[in-house]
Amino acid sequence: MKETLAIVEQLNATGVIGSYAVGGAVGAAFYLEPVATLDVDIFVLFEAAPLILTLTPIYEACAKLGYLAEGDAIQIEGWPVQFLPASQPLLAEAVREAVTREADGLTTRVMTAEHLMAIALQTGRAKDHARLVMFVEAGIADMDRLRDILARHSLLDAWAKFENRFLQP
Amino acid sequence: MNPDLQHIIQSKEAERRRLRALPWLEKLEILNRLRERHLSLQRMQPRRVSR
Repeated sequence: MKETLAIVEQLNATGVIGSYAVGGAVGAAFYLEPVATLDVDIFVLFEAAPLILTLTPIYEACAKLGYLAEGDAIQIEGWPVQFLPASQPLLAEAVREAVTREADGLTTRVMTAEHLMAIALQTGRAKDHARLVMFVEAGIADMDRLRDILARHSLLDAWAKFENRFLQP
Repeated sequence: MNPDLQHIIQSKEAERRRLRALPWLEKLEILNRLRERHLSLQRMQPRRVSR
C-alpha cells in the first residue's frame, strides 16, 4: 500500500493528475481501526474541467509505468486503484480541503474525517452507514465542522435520519 | 449484563482503540495483511456452479 500511494503522489508531482485525495475505506483507516478493503479510491480534481471528463491520460501514463488497467481499476504495486473524478460539489470540496500526511519519506493526501463522514452519509450503502457509526463511536470528528459541511450540501435531513436509525439507544 | 459478555465487549473495545491509535503507516501494513487474508479465503472457497 505504501508503494501504491507513493506512485499516486508521483502521478500528482509529474502533473498526470491534479489535486487528489485518498477516500473510502483506505482514507477512513487514517482515522479509524483498519477494515478489510479490496481497492483504493483516489478522488481527483479536474481543475479546468473539460466538457467530457476522461481518465484516459491517467490510464495511459500508468501503462507507461507498467501499471495496467483491470476492470475499472489500475493495478498499482499490488492494489487495484480506482481514480474517480471529484466532479460532484461535496467530493470536490473534500479534495480541496484534504490534509497532507507525511511519514518515513511518504507523502499523501487524505480527506478529512468530516468529509469522509459526509460522503459516507451521501453514498448511503450499508457499509457506509457502518463506517459512519465507527466514526461517531471513535469521537474523533469535529461535529460543528461536520454540521457545516452537511448544511452546505443539503445533508442535514439525511443526518437526522441516520441519527434516528443508528445512534438512538 | 452477563459479566463474561461485558468482559468480551470491553476487550474488543480496547483492541479497537489500540488499532485506531496506531501510526498511519502501520495501519497501511494492516490493510495489506487484511486484503491478503481476504483474497486467500476467497481462493479457498469452492467455486459455485452456475446452472
